Amino acid sequence: MSDSDDFLRVSDVSKWYGDEQVLHDVSFEMDPGDVTVLIGPSGSGKSTMLRCVNRLAEAQEGSIRLDGEEVLSPELDVDDLRREVGMVFQGFNLFAHLSAVGNVALGPRRVLGLSETEARERAEAQLERVGLGDQFDSYPAELSGGQQQRVGIARALAMEPKLLLFDEPTSALDPELIGEVLEVMHGLVDEGMTMLVVTHEMSFAREVADEIVFLDGGRVIERGPPDQLFERPEKERTGRFLERIASHD
Amino acid sequence: MAGATRPTTLRERVSDGGVSAGRILLVAAGVLFWGWLLVSWANRWLGGVVAPVGDPLVAPGLVEGALASLPVLAAYASDAAFVVDLTPDLAQGTWLTVVITGVSLVVGFLLAVPLAVARVYGRFSAWLSLAYTELLRGTPLLAQLFVLYYGLNLGRYVPGALSGVFPRDVVWVAILGFTLNGAAYQAEYIRGAVESVDEGQITAGRAIGLSKIEAIYHVVLPQALRYAIPSWTNEFVYLIKYSSLAAFITVPELYYRADQVASETFRYTLIFVVTGAMYLALVITASKLMERVDDRVAIPGLGAARER
Repeated sequence: MSDSDDFLRVSDVSKWYGDEQVLHDVSFEMDPGDVTVLIGPSGSGKSTMLRCVNRLAEAQEGSIRLDGEEVLSPELDVDDLRREVGMVFQGFNLFAHLSAVGNVALGPRRVLGLSETEARERAEAQLERVGLGDQFDSYPAELSGGQQQRVGIARALAMEPKLLLFDEPTSALDPELIGEVLEVMHGLVDEGMTMLVVTHEMSFAREVADEIVFLDGGRVIERGPPDQLFERPEKERTGRFLERIASHD
Repeated sequence: MAGATRPTTLRERVSDGGVSAGRILLVAAGVLFWGWLLVSWANRWLGGVVAPVGDPLVAPGLVEGALASLPVLAAYASDAAFVVDLTPDLAQGTWLTVVITGVSLVVGFLLAVPLAVARVYGRFSAWLSLAYTELLRGTPLLAQLFVLYYGLNLGRYVPGALSGVFPRDVVWVAILGFTLNGAAYQAEYIRGAVESVDEGQITAGRAIGLSKIEAIYHVVLPQALRYAIPSWTNEFVYLIKYSSLAAFITVPELYYRADQVASETFRYTLIFVVTGAMYLALVITASKLMERVDDRVAIPGLGAARER
């Protein structure tokens, strides 16, 4: 399964916060266009794992290779890495002083060096893509949570990333606003975007994931295609977690 | 006022209640005050087109005569004439007060921003910034001015390009002193504002590939500086009044001139009431100006919840 031409190859990643080990030898692989969903109870290390991929968190051991390049190498320019790996946050983290267009255009303008006009055009195109063609000049405080998160997705897309990371993109949303965000994510899956997603939305995971990775206590307990993992979990812990989540829905 | 999306501040709600008599009075006083100052300054620069240089714009005798013919006010006619006689001196002193305050504030701000950023995001530089701030805030401003002027004798070392800009080079020493001191205070206000910017903002900036410095510049500071405006205005107001300490190193600004005339005429009360009113007018102008700036740069949802 794992060979050296995987698009993303996470091997034996371990991380400690002080004395506490939060990731234990985590490994998984992705091909271009794959959607991998990390699931697990809170505190299982899935968000930390996600953040290690764009170096917002630093893994101390193991290897993460993206397109053949070692992400964990100390020589790597993290800003170059993040140019190619987009991230969508649980709390949206929109730039509070910028309009929707300003939020999306900042990266193209300041990181990719596009002109003011080019950056604005790109931002408008991305906002159209997430269904916010009528909210170009709204400020974050004037948008609903669902709209804010869609701006967050547009902001990541505007950098034309080769991999998109989603860190519980719907967890901070009111239930009635989750649908519009998932819809946008579905669209990206259909377009063939490579996505690594941390979420509690099990039906979404089941529908779109190529592989589900179940983490608990910082360890990969089990991984596999959604049908196998949801229908015939091999490990008892996986089954128990899925039951709890199901009864919660 | 300018659009439905603008946040309504408490201030706006109060002032939206129509044009009050107080507001008319304030605007009239402002126009009179600044009109007089600007015409006085222009008159001096242009070599006396309105009135001979050094003379009041209006003859004191004229004012005295006009008031003497009125009931009640007649009792104050000679005082009024005395004040009118002072106006050229006051206008000239105010010029230096305004310039010293303005230059020190702007240059101090340019120093304060990196000081504040270093304090929040630096390591060794945070320590340096703290040391600087504590030293400058922890010692008397007057002592700092004395060290610069009498101790280091900096008045002698004013660079050629700057020398001669003001009637006396010591003005530059005062500007240096107020800049260094003001930077420390401004840095404290700005630091507080920088700290209040949510950490997720810088994370999101880094996540799209901005470096730390770029994220601070493009994301943190635009928010922090907006937050800082109301408290930063305090420093502006203080600096206008602190600038009077320049008199103690012989800078002929407003306070110095007032003190000089008072010691010659012994009319301390009248002179310092008038001088106090001048400072008050400058201070009100500054705070009104900053209210304007604050409204101008307001962004929906940013800081509006605080209802200053």
